[in-house]
Amino acid sequence: MNKFFTNRLSIISFIFIPIIFLWHPNWLGFLGAQPYWPLFWLLPWSMINGSFNGLVFGLFLGLILDSLTLDNFSQIPGLMFCGFLFGRIKINTDILVGHFRYGLICAFGSILCGTLLLSQILFKNFSDSNSLIFISGLKNILAEVFLTGLFAPFICSKILRKFKFSRIKLH
Amino acid sequence: MFDIRRISSSRWWHKKKSWIFLGIFLFLVFVRISKGSLYKDLFYFISKPFWPGQFQKEVILKSIDQESLIKLNLIKKDNIRLRKILSLQESSNNDSISAAVISRKTGGWWRQILLNKGSKDGVEVGNIVTGPGGLLGRVNNTSLFTASVTLLTSPESKLGVWIDRSQTNGVLVGSGDDLPTLILYSKDADIKVGDFVSSSPASSLLPPNIPIGIVQSIDKTLQSKKTAKILLLAKPNLIDWVQILKENI
Repeated sequence: MNKFFTNRLSIISFIFIPIIFLWHPNWLGFLGAQPYWPLFWLLPWSMINGSFNGLVFGLFLGLILDSLTLDNFSQIPGLMFCGFLFGRIKINTDILVGHFRYGLICAFGSILCGTLLLSQILFKNFSDSNSLIFISGLKNILAEVFLTGLFAPFICSKILRKFKFSRIKLH
Repeated sequence: MFDIRRISSSRWWHKKKSWIFLGIFLFLVFVRISKGSLYKDLFYFISKPFWPGQFQKEVILKSIDQESLIKLNLIKKDNIRLRKILSLQESSNNDSISAAVISRKTGGWWRQILLNKGSKDGVEVGNIVTGPGGLLGRVNNTSLFTASVTLLTSPESKLGVWIDRSQTNGVLVGSGDDLPTLILYSKDADIKVGDFVSSSPASSLLPPNIPIGIVQSIDKTLQSKKTAKILLLAKPNLIDWVQILKENI
């Protein structure tokens, strides 16, 4: 049983992302925003499996998360782009530098996804009070980037180590 | 050589009694410095059940609640009777489902809540969801066991409302923060801070007269429209149980 979980850790953790996304614990929030959970999984996955895999799983993640949220705005473009970019990043041998890199990369990914979402929202509500949406959107992006960058060093390095371990076991 | 060591037990700090006295002394000094606050607070808790006004206040509040409830029922009956006479839509119906909020996204990009009742329980897309205080949003989609609700604060939400005092119709648009925007398509529209906003009888999406919020601030008048920020009466970030009104308009 233990071996089963170790071998399929990446897939099992993938299944849990939407659950964490729905869980949305308020005590982890900042200005009403939450860390962008899918990036914590996507970064280690893409770093290990490469750009193409990152792109594909970015799409998969986007599809699942879009099904959980409202219809009109999609997370797919942001996640696919992030998956592709993350795949091009090499794993750093220096553990400490690696930790901070995860934080920075995830924060950058969060800016990217947030900006793409905001642009979709602005485009959709072009006629209505655009400036108000823009200000609250900017606030959302900043809060999300801060939280994602803060948590990424802890979560990503842990997940990356687990993924690498399960991969070694598989080979 | 001289042995000048004394018997240790003869020193005052070796006596337990001295320490007890010192402790009491320090405590009294503390009481003095704190001006008896410790005692006063203790008395506050001890005497609380015996306060004369407390029970009286409860009794009065209970009576006021009962009176309000009776008045509300009478007004409801009157309202239904008058609406029948005028052949207007019913403002309320009893065909509602209670549901618990199982997931909540009230900040960030997605402003929605997930309820524990779905299509199995008869919930349909477009059903109205209300909570303590008033309107929360509309059911956006349903699964077998759950229903997701687009909150009024979501940028996706656009509903017809009106200002009760001046009976001016407008559109309530979510702007992605906690205060949705009311747009009135007339620059001379009569609106004041503190005005009560409820669902419009002209709305095709909502039953009329569901309380929504209060005008918190009025923005600068644009070329052909007035906008205002609305403070919602129902707080989706706090509410755990909601009512789903089954009948669509």
